[in-house]
Amino acid sequence: MIRRLRFDHGEMTQQELAVRVGVTRQTIIALEAGKYVPSLLLAFRLARVFGVSVEGVFQYQDGETGPSAVKLPDGK
Amino acid sequence: MNASQKEAWFNLVVVLAALLMVAALVPFLGKGAMGGFGLLGFLGLSPVFFRKQQGAVVLDERDTQIRLRSQFCAHLVFWLLFVLAAMSAPAIYGWEGSVPVVLVMQSVFCGLTVIQGVSSLATLIQYGRGGHDAA
Repeated sequence: MIRRLRFDHGEMTQQELAVRVGVTRQTIIALEAGKYVPSLLLAFRLARVFGVSVEGVFQYQDGETGPSAVKLPDGK
Repeated sequence: MNASQKEAWFNLVVVLAALLMVAALVPFLGKGAMGGFGLLGFLGLSPVFFRKQQGAVVLDERDTQIRLRSQFCAHLVFWLLFVLAAMSAPAIYGWEGSVPVVLVMQSVFCGLTVIQGVSSLATLIQYGRGGHDAA
């Protein structure tokens, strides 16, 4: 989803997004791969950059823990 | 490779170099081989990897989490080894025996080596699991 949102916003690169939300490019890569659950602050920053709600970027899965608890809307 | 990974590799190389140096010097210098641990002083250079670069973030919340987990692992291993060493001392030196001063000094360097080595390894393993660089 983040990847799609990036491309929907002028084909923003991972590096550009990383700079705008204040993280490293590797963190964006880990987020897109569904291997890192961001802090609430970072989730809000990402949503703000794309002009959507937090749930437009991340979705919480009931009963799950760890990185699998937060899914990207496209199911990743 | 980000700043934390570079630091981890650097620390790991320094720790291994110090251990190799000590091991290589023992046959020639005996207890004096401990001077090889002086190489651990290079660990003080690791902040160089976190120099601010214009417009780029060098350390973020994920790096901080990985760092904390690595330090936790390192201190856990250190504590286990410390307890093991302390508990085995009576078996080696006897209940009324005394521990050589050189051993006390070595334990400080060994502790530093264990903490830095395990912490660096844990850091590299966690970044390795975090997915590969993509476009």
